[in-house]
Amino acid sequence: MKGTRQLDSPWLHPRAAYVHIPFCLQHCSYCDFAVVAGRDERIDEYLDALGCELRGLQEPHPVATLFVGGGTPTHLNCVQLERLLDLLATWLPLEPGHEYTVEANPETLTDDRIALLASHAVTRLSLGAQSFSARVLTALTRSHHAADIRRSVTRARERIDTVSLDLIFGVPGTTLADWRQDLDETLSLGIGHVSTYGLTYEKGTLLWKQKRDGQVHALDEQTELTMYEHSMDRLQSAGFEHYEISSFARPGRRCRHNQVYWANHAYLGFGLGAARYVNGTREVNTRDLATYLDRCRSGRSPTMQSETLSPLDRARETLTVQLRRAEGIERMSFHAQTGFDLDELAGATIRRLVELALLADNGISVRLTRRGKCVADSLTLEFLK
Amino acid sequence: MSRLALRPDARHVGLSHDARRCKKNMTTPNELIRNFSIIAHIDHGKSTLADQFLLKTGTITAREFQNQMLDAMDLERERGITIRMHPVTIYHQYQGKTYELNLIDTPGHVDFSYEVSRSLAACEGCILLVDSFQGVQAQTVANAYLAMEHDLTIVPVLNKIDLPIARPDVVIAEMEQALAITPAEVLRASGKAGIGIEEVLAAIIERIPAPKGSADDPLRALVYNSHFDTYKGVVVYVCVKEGTLRKGQRIRLLRDGTEHDVIEIGRFRPGMTPCEELAAGQVGYVMAQIKTLGDVHIGDTVTDALRPAAEALPGYKEPKAMVFSGLYPVNNQDFETLREALGKLRLNDASFTYMPENSEGLGFGFRCGFLGMLHREIIQQRLERHSSLDLVQTAPNVTYEILTRKGEILVIDNPQKVPDPGQIEEFREPFVRISFLLPSENIGDLMQLCTERRGIYLRTEYLSPARAILAYELPLAEVIYDLYDKLKSVTHGYGTMDYELIGYRPADLVRLDILVAGKRVDALSTIVHRVFADRRGRKLVKKLRGEIDRHLFAIAIQAAIGSRVIARETIAPIKKNVTAKCYGGDITRKRKLWAKQAAGKKRMKQVGQVEIPQEAFLAVLETDQ
Ligand SMILES: Nc1nc2c(ncn2[C@@H]2O[C@H](COP(=O)(O)OP(=O)(O)OP(=O)(O)O)[C@@H](O)[C@H]2O)c(=O)[nH]1
Ligand code: SF4
Ligand SMILES: [Mg+2]
Repeated sequence: MKGTRQLDSPWLHPRAAYVHIPFCLQHCSYCDFAVVAGRDERIDEYLDALGCELRGLQEPHPVATLFVGGGTPTHLNCVQLERLLDLLATWLPLEPGHEYTVEANPETLTDDRIALLASHAVTRLSLGAQSFSARVLTALTRSHHAADIRRSVTRARERIDTVSLDLIFGVPGTTLADWRQDLDETLSLGIGHVSTYGLTYEKGTLLWKQKRDGQVHALDEQTELTMYEHSMDRLQSAGFEHYEISSFARPGRRCRHNQVYWANHAYLGFGLGAARYVNGTREVNTRDLATYLDRCRSGRSPTMQSETLSPLDRARETLTVQLRRAEGIERMSFHAQTGFDLDELAGATIRRLVELALLADNGISVRLTRRGKCVADSLTLEFLK
Repeated sequence: MSRLALRPDARHVGLSHDARRCKKNMTTPNELIRNFSIIAHIDHGKSTLADQFLLKTGTITAREFQNQMLDAMDLERERGITIRMHPVTIYHQYQGKTYELNLIDTPGHVDFSYEVSRSLAACEGCILLVDSFQGVQAQTVANAYLAMEHDLTIVPVLNKIDLPIARPDVVIAEMEQALAITPAEVLRASGKAGIGIEEVLAAIIERIPAPKGSADDPLRALVYNSHFDTYKGVVVYVCVKEGTLRKGQRIRLLRDGTEHDVIEIGRFRPGMTPCEELAAGQVGYVMAQIKTLGDVHIGDTVTDALRPAAEALPGYKEPKAMVFSGLYPVNNQDFETLREALGKLRLNDASFTYMPENSEGLGFGFRCGFLGMLHREIIQQRLERHSSLDLVQTAPNVTYEILTRKGEILVIDNPQKVPDPGQIEEFREPFVRISFLLPSENIGDLMQLCTERRGIYLRTEYLSPARAILAYELPLAEVIYDLYDKLKSVTHGYGTMDYELIGYRPADLVRLDILVAGKRVDALSTIVHRVFADRRGRKLVKKLRGEIDRHLFAIAIQAAIGSRVIARETIAPIKKNVTAKCYGGDITRKRKLWAKQAAGKKRMKQVGQVEIPQEAFLAVLETDQ
């Protein structure tokens, strides 16, 4: 029966949902997310529109994982935040044993906001800390201080199960010593999850322009590499598992929601610029606030792009995202999910990359080696050639 | 090939009263026919003068007219140069009689001089144009000599006299000095401004002899060109020397003895215009359901199958390819498609040759021979335009000769074919005699340039105190790549050159090999003089290091002579290339980005584990000096 099959297939039927809140205090120099800075007067309208979009579900859609990202969801004032959380509780009810993540910036995490989140069954806080160094925070045009991080982590941990810190390395002008310091500070907080991101220069951002105009200079490859390797060494020796290219967790603290992405499973998405992947079709909402508000309020879909991949392209895509995981690509489940035999699809490439010690293959699954992780994007290209 | 000629409706262009006459099949008596070519140095105004002839004689109307009317090929129009010869028949009233003038516009560029000699064999005379500002140039001299060799009557014309900067007296003096032309014979004209056209037409009729040969003799027609028409098959350009060619006639091509039925004959007016017959002295085309151009040899003789002529006409020397390079499809499956495309091109350009070859690095492809670098460039452009193939072209080389210890002579058109040094008794390279025409003040610089390139000085000849002809012998390999550009820069654009092959000479040559990741990439091998080998090798590996992208492993690039490595560079592996984030919204974006990058890689040639971009194969030539 088709219906049951869908329920059985997490790559077709979503049990995960993402909700985007685009508002921020200011637009950070490196950020290319769908962000709206300095337009707080639109927040209420936005929540109205989001409500309209959710109503499109027609009936509540239970989820196992819910992720509210941004922007800065905690930039909303308490009244607005509560409205948001209530709205989500209505349309995206949580299954037993759920995971509920909200992204937050340290300076916004007041006690009352933390209380609000906790009372709405939020289980995870993902904190945009980025760095403890005042110099780096300035370079990234962030509006918080190291003290905000320490305070918000301490306060949040009293009420919320898991706290994760986002960190950025490879910022122009930094050294390995700076990065060591950031990791040490992070570990001293005793949290269960860390994400480390190498700074990228996304087209159109302020930082990209500065680099193009020669005002900032990207770090050299060797330094970036050393920093990334140091993250692996330092966090693993502190008891973290390196379970995805940029994610580290203590046992039992992995982010289940993000693992949905890396399995190439289905998920729902709501809000400005949000993506969803349902029944083999990928869709992305408009990134333009006015269009989003207008479409939703007039009962139309805010979807801007929709794409259904061929089975072969879907299999290739699955291969490339699953490769990011520590457990890699597991042959049996890959076949079940995509209908393709991994070795028929990519056997020769796998063998070649195993020879170069960039992949490890134990016959059951194929995984990145430590060196492979450092050049994961190049490996992806090898598979797409 | 002329695009006009391919256009089915082209035959309706300029159907004037003369054309109707042609249809009525009135054969023009010999004494009213003149066959001539227009020859000159490049850009001296041949095609523009031909335009005036077409206009003044009413062959085309002002409405139909466009500049360089006969340059119909798209590449000719884009580049503003003539590449192929263009025949056209015009009728001109002179002193109460109607003359049939068959004119052939020829290219001026040195690479296409074979088109000039072919055209000349279909003529009794020629117009030699000289730009009244630029004066006598290298191809003026070369083409004038060609005409003299063919015993043609030369009508010298000083062209572009409308130019305010024209220097008629100086240029006429140069013509006298360089070509022994009597100043009184020189006409003055401007193709662009339409000055002196009547006088030139009159001189053609007065000075150029009428063709000989009788319409009643057994048929002998010279095949002087051909092109391939997608609908009609092979179109053969003929000049009837004796006898008469008729529609419906069964003809024989003397060289291979193949026979065909004539289904259409006609003239170029300038579009293909059918007529009933072409008699001795006339020029036109024949179509006889010939399917492959292989059956048609330029220089062959067409005769009547029922009443064959005893002897063939003298014909031509096959044009000799001067430059060779390998042409490979990026995707090996495209080999057959490439073969077809080359076959089609060759239909319209018999001067270019191709032979299948196999390279370890590049797989299956073709070794192609060209008349020169411009010819090579044009062939490549035509190929890319008319087929959607992605091609890799290797650096060009000339043909060498090797005398082996066993006394055999090997012809080497590809560095891969050079045997072990131990087997080589003598390595020989082609030499050319080259004449430079340049301002006297640049002689010193040019001499230095030639000395660096192993040139042997022959002589200097002054056309005037300000301009001279400098003659040298030089290895062809030192000429073809960039000597012309160097000459232009030394002389601020005022120098020109022309060369002809004089033979092979022993030289201390070696094959310089390139190893990428330990594997010799045969398509990157070159033949160089031993004295320059070390420097070349070092430059080449450095250049290649910049051309080849980093890979997931380190790549050694080495230059070697035999087993001796003379230079080495290493391309470091990619150490870090990983995007931090990949969440829901990123997946589509990333996939598209990667698909784009992966497509880029597909255009490269995979040699072993290494992807080598097209540019790398040409790097060999850029580091030449
Ligand atoms: N002022 C002036 N310019 C002319 C005259 N004849 C030709 N030109 C210009 O000279 C350039 C070359 O003319 P073409 O007729 O293409 O010369 P060509 O000899 O056929 O050149 P190739 O076929 O490439 O050898 C063009 O820019 C013409 O406009 C002339 O009588 N006077
Ligand atoms: S706070 Fe986060 S989402 Fe907002 S602009 Fe900065 S980096 Fe982007
Ligand atoms: Mg021309």
